[in-house]
Amino acid sequence: MTSVPLVSVFSADDSTKVTAKHIPLPAVFQTPIRPDIVSFVHTNIAKNRRQAHAVNPQAGMQHSAESWGTGRAVARIPRVSGSGTHRSGQAAFGNQCRKGRMSLPIKVWRRWHRRVNIKQKRHAAASAVAATGIVPLVLARGHRISQVPQIPLVVEDKIESYEKTTDALNFLKRFGAFEDVQKVVSTKVVRAGISKQRGKKYRVRKGPLVVYFNENAKLLKAFRNVPGVEVVNVTRLNLLQLAPGGQLGRFVIWTQSAFAHLDKLFGTYRYASVLKDGYQLLRPLLTNPDLARIINSNQVQEKVQPAKTTTVLHEVQKKNPLRNTKAMDRLNPYARKQRAAAIAAIKANTKGTKKIKKNKALKKASRAAFNKVSAALNDATNAAVQEEQDIKVKYFSVQKGAAQAE
Amino acid sequence: MSQQVLWEVVKGNNAFLVKRNGLTLSTDPFNNTGVQTYGNTGFISQNAIGVVPTSGKTNQINNINLVARKSTKFQQVDRKAKNTQSVYASTLAVKHGVHTASRVIRKRFGTSRLGLQKAALRKLVNLNRSNAVRRRNEVAAAKAQKK
Repeated sequence: MTSVPLVSVFSADDSTKVTAKHIPLPAVFQTPIRPDIVSFVHTNIAKNRRQAHAVNPQAGMQHSAESWGTGRAVARIPRVSGSGTHRSGQAAFGNQCRKGRMSLPIKVWRRWHRRVNIKQKRHAAASAVAATGIVPLVLARGHRISQVPQIPLVVEDKIESYEKTTDALNFLKRFGAFEDVQKVVSTKVVRAGISKQRGKKYRVRKGPLVVYFNENAKLLKAFRNVPGVEVVNVTRLNLLQLAPGGQLGRFVIWTQSAFAHLDKLFGTYRYASVLKDGYQLLRPLLTNPDLARIINSNQVQEKVQPAKTTTVLHEVQKKNPLRNTKAMDRLNPYARKQRAAAIAAIKANTKGTKKIKKNKALKKASRAAFNKVSAALNDATNAAVQEEQDIKVKYFSVQKGAAQAE
Repeated sequence: MSQQVLWEVVKGNNAFLVKRNGLTLSTDPFNNTGVQTYGNTGFISQNAIGVVPTSGKTNQINNINLVARKSTKFQQVDRKAKNTQSVYASTLAVKHGVHTASRVIRKRFGTSRLGLQKAALRKLVNLNRSNAVRRRNEVAAAKAQKK
């Protein structure tokens, strides 16, 4: 980034007034958005608040049931011993049996918690913080921010001294955050399922997250009762609050000192973090991810070959120019003149020569000769045929004579 | 923020996504077709225009608003702007008829993104038509009342 984006700090009493006009954005907000890291870390960290539970280890096993073995015309499942009650002889112990124990009963020593590498957790948190500063992501998460004056919303530290809930509400109204609170209120539903009988009656959406810095801040109490609003200290930013459900883009309201503290917390691209020992912000793979802009830039377009136009070779039926005069003329405009010249030349040639007179005498003589020849040919043919006939007759008569002789 | 990067984050799950009957639809105000695709999803882009019917009773002939997505260096509301602003959009009420609104749309898209341009214009026309029916009924009702 050549130029650092700037952010205004708003006055707590008046959303139109700006107390500090241009504060540079902390480097965290420039970290690459990594939904893969965030969702991985979230799915694991979300398991860490679970409380161990288990099934009674004796459940379904409190019988002296034994299998009857084979030969009794019953299944080989263990059966309850004794007599005098319906229960005797009934199947027991198996997971398939009524009143049997479950298969693989849950044990308390199930691995409830997951550890995640610290670096991954930090990268996820940084990414989640960065996402809170991107309007489309906050919109995509479903927050109502149409009236909010700025994202990220930074307000002067005065709100940290709010004690009354009315002050908190009025503050939220002034900054257009109340729409989000209203969303939370109107979408509160009774939970489906048994959990409603186990202390989780309602499903409540998440509203704005207020982040403060000074430890003695009273605003926790002021915002505590506002539905959907959560309050957290900068030093204890929680991924489960920054990206609830693994979804990036929570609507966050920062106090000025909290905002300023982010640089120390996460470090910058120049200096590693002060408070997270040895932690350096993740660097993006692409500093400019805008592919469209890269492709259309001068540097790329200069090197790129001109776009190929699609040429259709045989859209129209091909005409042979050697036989089709129009096709020839299209290819060679001079062909017309050549043709005309050729015709003219032929005409010129024929004009000079004498006409060959038909020689009648010659014709007669030739005809006579032809007739003679053809007559001779005919005679010859006839003679040959006749000769053949004579031989044949002779032959057969000889045969006859021979036969007669015999 | 690049539209491509945002799409990778948002395509799987977002507040406007509606999946029903095998269709992937969107209630995004900047989406004029209603189907969620990369190009159509306006709220992740820098220069989309949504044609939106106004909510509530307004004193407009057309109950249409143009919501123009804006990208500013720092995402702030411009209080000096003439049309109503939010962090992510400026809203223009279609008061002076459909033609001026269509010019706004055409100017924003220029010669690029014809598909998006046409979708916006189509929606504008359709909303206008439905408004015309409403207005006609209102006029008829007013006349009947006068009598």
